[in-house]
Amino acid sequence: MSRQANRGTESKKMSSELFTLTYGALVTQLCKDYENDEDVNKQLDKMGYNIGVRLIEDFLARSNVGRCHDFRETADVIAKVAFKMYLGITPSITNWSPAGDEFSLILENNPLVDFVELPDNHSSLIYSNLLCGVLRGALEMVQMAVEAKFVQDTLKGDGVTEIRMRFIRRIEDNLPAGEE
Amino acid sequence: MAVCIAVIAKENYPLYIRSTPMENELKFHYMVHTSLDVVDEKISAMGKALVDQRELYLGLLYPTEDYKVYGYVTNSKVKFVMVVDSSNTALRDNEIRSMFRKLHNSYTDVMCNPFYNPGDRIQSRVFDNMVTSMMIQVC
Repeated sequence: MSRQANRGTESKKMSSELFTLTYGALVTQLCKDYENDEDVNKQLDKMGYNIGVRLIEDFLARSNVGRCHDFRETADVIAKVAFKMYLGITPSITNWSPAGDEFSLILENNPLVDFVELPDNHSSLIYSNLLCGVLRGALEMVQMAVEAKFVQDTLKGDGVTEIRMRFIRRIEDNLPAGEE
Repeated sequence: MAVCIAVIAKENYPLYIRSTPMENELKFHYMVHTSLDVVDEKISAMGKALVDQRELYLGLLYPTEDYKVYGYVTNSKVKFVMVVDSSNTALRDNEIRSMFRKLHNSYTDVMCNPFYNPGDRIQSRVFDNMVTSMMIQVC
């Protein structure tokens, strides 16, 4: 019961250094455990996915957002509510494709990469790939199959960090015959 | 302004050392090396008082004919040593102090990089650039 009461819209404070260092420790450990960067990226994505499918429940319970009517609305909620709630940043949404099924999230500063400098031997590592997994996992739980990937990263010398999101299809609920 | 900047680990081996290329590198390495004795002396002499006041700046370690050597020690006993040209009289104590603080902040960022293993030589580009900016400022 008490846990339920705690779940308000207000965000809890946490030291950003601790958060950043924890994530850094996770990534460097993965780099030690796996031979090449591709495997690390995959693993980060998988972990993110597992976080996402859980986090969406927490998100829906806390934020009271309703059903989104189109992908644009979803993008707004992700950027203005979800990122704000969990990372304390508000990415901007740009570069909509004409069909309205692709957009970019521009992160001015990414709290995961404070202090981080990629060494030369990890040039293909996508350090924050966890975020893509989270987005994919969370949206899958609300019947949206999406693809998320980094197209720009400040760690690789780009000016901003950009996550490209692509809507693939709606996942139809497999309702048992005779219902609805 | 600075001609040589060095970061020395707690166990007195260098983590980072850079000097202006036009001078004999070895001379500065030697200078920094000898300064470590003075650093140790200062730490033990000031001992308790130093810890109480949280004063990390050690001041002028020793002057030579052409250069002045300044020192700074963090609470984790990492030493920063800076050699400056003594002909540069415009350099006040306060400026040296703020340079050390900048160096300290930059060092902290390096330590917080998850890909850096404590005790390794510092190879960070950001740190390198910061040191370069301190060496060429008003030469």
